Amino acid sequence: MRTIYNRFRIGLTPQRVLSVVFLIALGYLVIFPLFLMAKETFIVHPLERFQIPGSTIGDLTLSHWIRSFVSENSFTFFYRPLLNTLQIAFGLSILALLIGGTLAWLVVRTDIPMKNVITNAAIIPYIMPSWTLALAWIALFKNERIGGDQGIFTALTGISTPDWFAYGLFPITITLALHYFPFGFMLIGGALRNIDAQLEESAELLGASRVATLRRIVIPLVLPAIFSTFLLTFSRGLGTFGTPAFLGGPVREFVLSTSLYANLIGGRPGIGYLAALAMIVLGVLVLYMDHKIIGTRRSYVTISGKGARAGLVALGRWRWPIASILMGSILAVIVVPLGALAIDTFMLRPGLYSWENFTWHYWVGEASLSVGLGTGEPGILRNPELMSALGNTMKLAVVVALITGILGVLVGYAIVRMRGSWVSQALDQLSFLPYLMPSIALGAIFLAMFAVPRWPFPSLHGTFTLLVIACVVSYLPYAVKAGVSAIRQIGPELEEAAIMTGASWWTRMYRVIIPIQKSTYFSGLLLPFISVTRELSLLILLVTPTAQLATTITLRYTDRGWYPYTNGMVLLLVVIVVTCTIMSRRLMGTNIAKGLGG
Amino acid sequence: MPDIVLDSISRTYGGSVKAVHDLTLTVPDGSFTTLLGPSGCGKTTTLRMIAGLDMPTSGTIYIGDQLAFSLERGRSLPPAKRNLGLVFQSYALWPHLTVAKNITFGLEVQRVDKIETARRLEEVATALQIDNLLSRYTSELSGGQQQRVAIARVLVMRPATLLLDEPLSNLDATLRMDMRVELKRLHKETGATIIYVTHDQLEALTMSTHIALMQSGELQQFAPPLEIYARPANKLAAEFLGNPRINLLDGVIASGCVVCEGLQLTLSPEIAVTEGEKITVGLRAEELRLHPTSSPSWAEAHVTTALPTGSDWYYHIKMNSKTLIVRQNDTPNLQPGDVVYVEAIPNTLKLFDSNGCALIVSSA
Repeated sequence: MRTIYNRFRIGLTPQRVLSVVFLIALGYLVIFPLFLMAKETFIVHPLERFQIPGSTIGDLTLSHWIRSFVSENSFTFFYRPLLNTLQIAFGLSILALLIGGTLAWLVVRTDIPMKNVITNAAIIPYIMPSWTLALAWIALFKNERIGGDQGIFTALTGISTPDWFAYGLFPITITLALHYFPFGFMLIGGALRNIDAQLEESAELLGASRVATLRRIVIPLVLPAIFSTFLLTFSRGLGTFGTPAFLGGPVREFVLSTSLYANLIGGRPGIGYLAALAMIVLGVLVLYMDHKIIGTRRSYVTISGKGARAGLVALGRWRWPIASILMGSILAVIVVPLGALAIDTFMLRPGLYSWENFTWHYWVGEASLSVGLGTGEPGILRNPELMSALGNTMKLAVVVALITGILGVLVGYAIVRMRGSWVSQALDQLSFLPYLMPSIALGAIFLAMFAVPRWPFPSLHGTFTLLVIACVVSYLPYAVKAGVSAIRQIGPELEEAAIMTGASWWTRMYRVIIPIQKSTYFSGLLLPFISVTRELSLLILLVTPTAQLATTITLRYTDRGWYPYTNGMVLLLVVIVVTCTIMSRRLMGTNIAKGLGG
Repeated sequence: MPDIVLDSISRTYGGSVKAVHDLTLTVPDGSFTTLLGPSGCGKTTTLRMIAGLDMPTSGTIYIGDQLAFSLERGRSLPPAKRNLGLVFQSYALWPHLTVAKNITFGLEVQRVDKIETARRLEEVATALQIDNLLSRYTSELSGGQQQRVAIARVLVMRPATLLLDEPLSNLDATLRMDMRVELKRLHKETGATIIYVTHDQLEALTMSTHIALMQSGELQQFAPPLEIYARPANKLAAEFLGNPRINLLDGVIASGCVVCEGLQLTLSPEIAVTEGEKITVGLRAEELRLHPTSSPSWAEAHVTTALPTGSDWYYHIKMNSKTLIVRQNDTPNLQPGDVVYVEAIPNTLKLFDSNGCALIVSSA
């Protein structure tokens, strides 16, 4: 007994204490809410009792499951959103793969000029909020049937866009693909870069042509990266909310995420939470496939320091034309949408594109019920509501980045130092779990969990704390992943050397562990900062009208058709995010591309 | 200054993997003790337990009169309180600090005042000839320089004991030779006890005052190097020390002699063996002589490979089915296929019973 106690007391190392604390905290914030949410699908909520005859609030019921899966309304409630979701996820993954893969091959394996510029520009669409392109699409292609005004395209050409082109699945798929293709570019590009040149040279020595080498050697070798990209974009497609909300809303075309949202705010939480569960199940399935298909094969892209880079494919006289087309397209994806958004904010009367119609009103104008849209809203920059939302966003971004960054280091530290024990594995998997939950589902979970007081917290409904908790849990997988790889690169003996001198755990952390990987940790801060700035789906369910964020208020303004304000806000966010990224790359040498991928 | 005493130390991982098993060892004060053994034999684990970075599953560690570890008494002295310094195999220099900051880190942690710190820094830097590198970052140093910095970082704390974990394994052959001399000099100058971990028997033989030979987590023999070389406690010890590897021949006791494969060795009468007992004889390469003519107690063999090194010749010879390695420094150049007659002239007789234990422990 005494020995057991002594063993416990002597063995009380910082990493053990940390692991236990994190295990409990994560269990509480990740596992418990999952159960809670599953429970909600069996319970009668206040407004639901009218649909379920003879029930009272809080009763156990199967009716949500029945209504979702096997009633005459199932198609509307569940199957149609599900099919739409899958269709979009599939389409966008294929598109993103084609665009990203081609781009990667051109940049890595050919003698195309301006590689650096192309590489940097290609990442920008990902840095922008995903629904920027959705709003731009509306600004460009909206038609008069919905919203009343025409888009820039119609104004310029006189051609009225058909509904299927302006709204719904088609533009959702396209705009998401344009947002996510950088994944393909980076993952496939990385794989291509890592192929040992000798593998290709051997093939060519054996008489294979360039095309045969590409088909028989290169593509099979990057196949794991291709699968990775596909599954990554696919799972993102499953959970995305902003784009389908903006583009699907006007034609009432729902995906799982927007259906979840509509049901939750429409007083049918049971059905809403079922959609959330469905999204999580799909996420797990995708991960399972990832394991099955890629699993061990992931490692067979050999990394070798030897052997010079294989000769680049000469594009010959196509060099500059192709480069120009590429640059043109990338610019088009960046400049045209942003330009369209910008133009919209300067047009006093929406849909009327002329110099006479030019105005600063939506940026700096006084509140007025007669000018422009007649919203009674002052211009963006002097609008207290919008500016305070922007302030909230910035505050949230900073707080979340700091907390997530610190947690990432600490959890990573616990995982690496406890390696080989079940605690390490449990922590690793628990901290990865939120990755599988589409963020709107995660938001729903926290809504369900903290709407009431729950020890040790009071009711957190509508509080800043709740937003922080949701964001931290949501970005934890990335932070922990970064933390683990950073700590793993610091051999334990670097810390032990400090232990030998008598340095306390705290001293070791801030004098040794953290300074060595400074730039990595800073990158780790940047990603959650940017993510919060543009986060919509996670927080849309959690904010209350009194404390809006820049993104959520944008959605509210869109609902009212006040596009100049929305577009202006999005532009502000894009400027902030891109500036932060560039500045941190300049100052700290951080690389956002490092933190991406999955 | 004190002896370091390990009293039946065991270290088990995950309940079943025994890294170190029931190790009892007294490292004499001021000695240069080498923990020697193949990789995975538990020597680094032992070193880490002495340092306090790892904890025994059972057993007691004393450092001098201080109880450093005892589970029963609920005691585990923190590494920094054990008055010892550890040089890691990888050196573990902090890449974000300059050489000077690396060396003074420990002094800063211990809040040694600035003047004293500067004085001590200069002292070790001069002693290890790295005073011109102080403002560099460790990535700008060669392997040998990093090695010196790692040692300086430890010495600056003035530990009573210096623990070295395979410190030369990352250096090239020439540098390794130089560092061996340097470490020996360091041992003499500082007077500190050194515990040195290596799998390189040559390092162990050339530098140590004592060798603790380990295998599979257990101590095989603890003695001065030449003692182990001359009188290995068992077959494992005999095979591990010495280059080339010792020749082991199976034999049988017959009328006061050992007979193996036609080779006869006379036994001195005080050795307790029974007639007809099966034993193994260990003969080092230099304990065999090759002759062109035969004699009754010699065995016939033929040369399979000749390896001249300049000063000596190494011959692989085949005696019946057994291949032996022989070192000669005065025979005429033999060619593969030559027939020779082998004489055994052991400096010390190394006989092992069927369990592999030495039959003759000491003649001294």
